[in-house]
Amino acid sequence: MANIESPMSGKVWKILVKVGDAIVEDDEVIILEALKMENPIFAPEDGVIKEINVKEGQQVTEGDVLVVLE
Amino acid sequence: MSEFGYSMPRYFAKMDDLGNPIKKINTKNAEELLAVEAEVDAEVNRIKTGGKPSEKVNAGGEWTAWQRIDYLVEPGTWCPLHTIYDPTANEEGTTGVIDGIGKVNGKWVVVIASDNKYLAGAWIPGQADNITRVTDMAKRMNLPLVWILNCSGVKLSNQEEVYPNRIGGGTPFYRHNELEQLGLPVIVGIYGTNPAGGGYHSISPTILIAHKKANMAVGGAGIVGGMSPKGYVDEEAAQSLIDATCGFKSTPPGRVEIHHGVTGFFREVAESEEAVLDAIKKYVGALPAYNPEFFRVADPAEPKFAGGDLRTIVLANQKRAYDIYEVLARLFDNSEHMEYKPDYGLEMYTGIAKIDGLLCGFVANKQGILKNYPEYTKDYIGVGGKLYRQGLIKMSEFVTLCNRDKLPIVWIQDTTGIDVGDIAESAELLGLGQSLIYSIQNTDIPQMEITLRKGTAAAHYVLGGPQGAANAFSIGTAATEINVMHGETAAAAMYSRRLVKDQDDGKSLDGTIAKMNALIEDYAEKSRPIFCAKKGFVDEIVKMSALRNYIQAFVGGVYQNPKSICPIHQMITPRTIKDYMDVYVNKSTVRDN
Repeated sequence: MANIESPMSGKVWKILVKVGDAIVEDDEVIILEALKMENPIFAPEDGVIKEINVKEGQQVTEGDVLVVLE
Repeated sequence: MSEFGYSMPRYFAKMDDLGNPIKKINTKNAEELLAVEAEVDAEVNRIKTGGKPSEKVNAGGEWTAWQRIDYLVEPGTWCPLHTIYDPTANEEGTTGVIDGIGKVNGKWVVVIASDNKYLAGAWIPGQADNITRVTDMAKRMNLPLVWILNCSGVKLSNQEEVYPNRIGGGTPFYRHNELEQLGLPVIVGIYGTNPAGGGYHSISPTILIAHKKANMAVGGAGIVGGMSPKGYVDEEAAQSLIDATCGFKSTPPGRVEIHHGVTGFFREVAESEEAVLDAIKKYVGALPAYNPEFFRVADPAEPKFAGGDLRTIVLANQKRAYDIYEVLARLFDNSEHMEYKPDYGLEMYTGIAKIDGLLCGFVANKQGILKNYPEYTKDYIGVGGKLYRQGLIKMSEFVTLCNRDKLPIVWIQDTTGIDVGDIAESAELLGLGQSLIYSIQNTDIPQMEITLRKGTAAAHYVLGGPQGAANAFSIGTAATEINVMHGETAAAAMYSRRLVKDQDDGKSLDGTIAKMNALIEDYAEKSRPIFCAKKGFVDEIVKMSALRNYIQAFVGGVYQNPKSICPIHQMITPRTIKDYMDVYVNKSTVRDN
C-alpha cells in the first residue's frame, strides 16, 4: 500500500488511471495544474490503483492523498 | 594524455559529477522535436537545391558555394549560421550568402560565401544585415574572417532595399576595415565577376586571392547604353539600346591582367577552384593562434551521456518542467561542473565547466516549482523560468566574476519573464533586471546564447540575449519559442475590455473570441523555430544533438586569440565556488571538522 500525495497546491487537471489499473514506477498518474504549469504526479512504485480520491477540476492542497496504490 | 601540464588540478581535473542516464526514451516528445528538426532540414535543403542547379554551375566550370565550403573547412567542425535567414522574405528565399564557424588549416575562422546559385551571388535584400551579423561575430569572438566571394553586384530591381540605409550594401566595407584595425585579418578568395559592390567586397579585405577568371572593378561591363536624356524609354531609345548591345564586345574590367599584372592588388592568382581555397588555407596557416593546450585545465572529454538524450529531457510541451542539470550533463566535458551558489537564487543555474578542456561559464534557467521561494513574499511561490531577486543578483555576481577571470559565458534560456506586480517591484526586480544588463555590458568577454525553449519578455534580453553587444551569436532548437508574451496572454491583454463591453452591450462574444483565437494562432506561427530563424531572432536552429558542437566552436574560437587572459592560478571564480560550498553549504572547513 502506498499513498500518492499532492506535492503542492493546485487543481487536478487530468486523471490518467482508473481503479484496478496496474501501473509501474514512474508512470504518470495524475496531472496537476499549478502556476500555469502541468505538474505530472508519477507512481512511486509498481502497483495496482486501489482508490482515486479526487476528481478532475478539484482543488487540492499539499499533502492531500490523491491515489491509493496496492 | 597531453604533453602539457595543467594548473590547479585539484579544482579542475575532477569536478562535481552531473546527470544520470535517461530511464527510457520519451518517444512522443522525441518524435515531436524530430519533426520540427526535419522541417528545418527541409528549409535548408530548399536553399541548397534552389536557384541555379548545382550540375549547371559545375558544367560551367565552377563549384557551388557549398562545395567550396566543403573543400575549405575541416570535416566535423562546420557550424552553419543564418542558413535560412531571410528577414525580407525574398523571392529567392535566402539572403544570398552562406556563413558559419569552422576550422580551416587547424584554426577557427568565421567563413562567409556568396551563394553563386542565386543571381550569381548578387546583393539582395537582407544580405547586408546577414553580413553585418557575421562581421560582428568575428569582432566579438576575435576571429579572422574568410570570404569566398562571387558577387555580381546589386539586384537592380530591388536597389532601394539593397543599396542605401545605415545597414546597407556598403556597410561591410567599413566593417572589414574595422576588423583589420582591430588586428583581425579578412582573407578573400575571389571568383567570377565582381563589379561595383562586388568590387568593394573584393578590395576591402586584407589578402586578395583571385581565381584566374575572376575580376573586380568599380563598375561592370554591363552598363552599355548610358543614361537616356529623355528620362524615359521610347521605341527610338529601345532601338538604340539594341544596337549598342549587339555591337558590344568587351572583356570585363578588372581582370587578373590588371589587378595582378598591373596594380598587384591580387596577392595570388590561382589556376583552379581548389587552388583558390588551398591558398586561403595557406594564409590562414600564417595567422597567429594559441595552441589550445596553453589554456586547458584538463584533457578534453566527451560528456558521459549522449546529446540525443536532450530530445527526451527537453519537453516540447511548454507547460512541462524538466531538469536543467540533465541538459548540462549532456553538454559538459565528462559531465562535470562546479556550481556557483546552488542554494541561492534557486531559479537560476550558474557555474563553470570544461568544454574540450577549456573553462567556460554557464548560466541557465531551472524549471519546476520552487517552494518557499522567492524569499520576499509568502503570497505566492516561485516557478522555474521566472526570474526573481536572488537569481538576478546571483547572475550579476557571476557575470562579473567571469569577466574578471576572462571566462567566456554560454547562456541557456528557457524563460517566461521576470516576476511582476507590486511585490516584485518592491523587491527591486525592475532595477535588478537592468543591473544585470549593466553587468553584461560591463564585461569584455564573448558570450553565446541558446534559446533552448522559451525566450519571453524582458528576460530574453537580460539573459545574455542577442541584443547585447557581448553576444557573439544566438541559436535555437526545435523547442524554441520567442515572443514578448505567450499568445493567450496577449489575447487577454488586448481583448479583455472588449469582452466586458460586448457583454455589457448585450452583444454576442463570438466576434471578439474569434479575433482572440486568430491572434493566438498568429503568435504561435510567428514564434516557431523556423520563423525565428528566418527573421533572425536566432542565428540558426540547431539539432538537440548538435548543441555541444556549437558550444565547442564558440569556446574553441574565443580561446584561439583572446584579447586578454587571466592566469588560471589567479582566477577567483573557482575559489569563490569552492569556499562558498565549504563554508556555507557543506560546512566542511578544517575548523568545522
